[in-house]
Amino acid sequence: MTDFWILLTGGLVASCCAILGCFLVLRRMSMIGDAISHSVLPGIVIAFMMSGSRDSFVMLLGASVLGLITVFLIQLFQQSGVQADASIGVVFTALFAIGVVLVSLNLKHVDIDLDCVLYGEIAHVHWNTWELHGSDMGPKAVWMLGFTLLVIIAVIGLFYKQFKLCAFDPALAAAIGIPVALFHYLLMGLVSMATVSSFESVGAILVVGMLIIPASAAYLLTDRLGAMIFISVAIGLASTGLGYGVSVVLDASIAGCMVCAAAVLFILAFLLSPSHGLLARKLRRRSLRERTI
Amino acid sequence: MRLKTNSAIRRWIMAMLFLTAVMLFVTACGSNSGNDFTSGEGKLKVTATIGMIADVVNNIGGDHVEAIGLMGPGVDPHLYKASQGDIKKLDQADVIFYNGLHLEGKMAEMLEKLGKKKTTVAVSSRLEESALRSDPSGAGAHDPHIWFDVRNWISAAEVIRDTLVEKDPANADNYKKRAADYLVKLEELDRYTKEQIASIPEASRVLVTAHDAFGYFGDAYGIKVMGLQGMSTASEYGTKDVTTLRDYLVDNKIKAVFVESSVPKKSIEAVIEGAKQMGHDVAIGGELFSDAMGKRGTEEGTYIGMVQHNVDTIVHALK
Repeated sequence: MTDFWILLTGGLVASCCAILGCFLVLRRMSMIGDAISHSVLPGIVIAFMMSGSRDSFVMLLGASVLGLITVFLIQLFQQSGVQADASIGVVFTALFAIGVVLVSLNLKHVDIDLDCVLYGEIAHVHWNTWELHGSDMGPKAVWMLGFTLLVIIAVIGLFYKQFKLCAFDPALAAAIGIPVALFHYLLMGLVSMATVSSFESVGAILVVGMLIIPASAAYLLTDRLGAMIFISVAIGLASTGLGYGVSVVLDASIAGCMVCAAAVLFILAFLLSPSHGLLARKLRRRSLRERTI
Repeated sequence: MRLKTNSAIRRWIMAMLFLTAVMLFVTACGSNSGNDFTSGEGKLKVTATIGMIADVVNNIGGDHVEAIGLMGPGVDPHLYKASQGDIKKLDQADVIFYNGLHLEGKMAEMLEKLGKKKTTVAVSSRLEESALRSDPSGAGAHDPHIWFDVRNWISAAEVIRDTLVEKDPANADNYKKRAADYLVKLEELDRYTKEQIASIPEASRVLVTAHDAFGYFGDAYGIKVMGLQGMSTASEYGTKDVTTLRDYLVDNKIKAVFVESSVPKKSIEAVIEGAKQMGHDVAIGGELFSDAMGKRGTEEGTYIGMVQHNVDTIVHALK
């Protein structure tokens, strides 16, 4: 049963992140997950200073607010002409620094850092159950991530065409009357929601990895957005399963193994992809040369 | 043309060999056996989060208990990462002991919930509010490093004794007897620490370390404690912290500062260097065990040995 809950949680995180990751990779903003993982620090510090408790719900609330502020600021700067990578860098370093200053000013003698109070551990999810009227409803993380996945599927599903056009050709999208800014903010809001709830359940590295790696691998394997999303989710799920198997054999960190498995799958895609793979390109180049000679 | 393809293929083979080697290396590093519950029926299986607790459980439980710690020697509890095998250690345990007071971070929240299904006990649970050091900002958080005051650890040992007695009444007498012996040793350790620290001249009774873990030690045994870093080993120290500490060392002619087994030495070395430039030589008094004990099987790998090592190191360097 333990294995089942861990795999289900991992699968939900992988699916949420793999779907959103596709849009982020296309918009060249994949590092946004890493950015949010740092920039929520002032959120949890302020939440702790206001409530005096390190309860996970309070921490999650503080982190969510800061997550939204982060993506809002990044989007705002980017739309105002700052390069995407630079605006991510500016926002998250500045917010993280504010958090560090707050800790050093007010909370020298309290152990408060992200690892300790916000980031969850996937090995522990099945013990962190949600209780409703005294009955055990299963792991809290599964409910929270399941809900997040539903919201993501609903929003992306409803406005798929708009999201697609905004990702590939925002100018054209604006020209035909789609509120591009609104959809950018909507996507960023989803990213913030997915990452913060995943951090709380499974920790940072798994979320950041799953947001970037499966989508990047899928990007190498296809040129169609629809196919890319499905391949990305498939790679995410495969690395969840593979990684868990490896972690059982090695007795190692589960999240670490899952991300390593995703990285191995990415390398395979990089080498063997029929269209963009290293091998395919080499072969094509050789046959071209032989034909010209 | 032929030659070129060959060299390309060779490059691929080299890359693949390299990857395989890396994999094998990782696998070799990963196999840490001898850390699981080995015995079958009959023994009470106990999992403790930190080594200090596992050590007390072993002393009180003796042959009737098999105790393992999640965090090994030299592991900073703030930075502990669960491995897949840790699930089994928690799942199979009859009793789980943890420190509490947020030492284990988010994990403690999970352990409290798990308490509905199996016995999970915070060894700090019987300490009075007045015995705890709280944050000066009044934010309601307590210093979790309670084991530096041996009196606190006596209370922890009593919690462990009573839990074992309750879980395994058949061996209750044995636990009580072993606990009584162990508590005598702890009382002795407490007395020893008091005497030894009191033998340092009063003006030199200052303990300077990298991170702020020795607060209970200072309160209990009358030695002023100064840390460079805050409570969390992940928090950053400011330049002002370095200069304040440096000036204090120079002004009070403190002879030695101490490094900790689970915290990098770099930060404290900056202070020593600074004091040197102001014409005051500060020595590194030795390595103290703070958040984790020494290697298994050595004297410092037990709670009593670790405290003794710390006390002797401090007295030797400051006297």
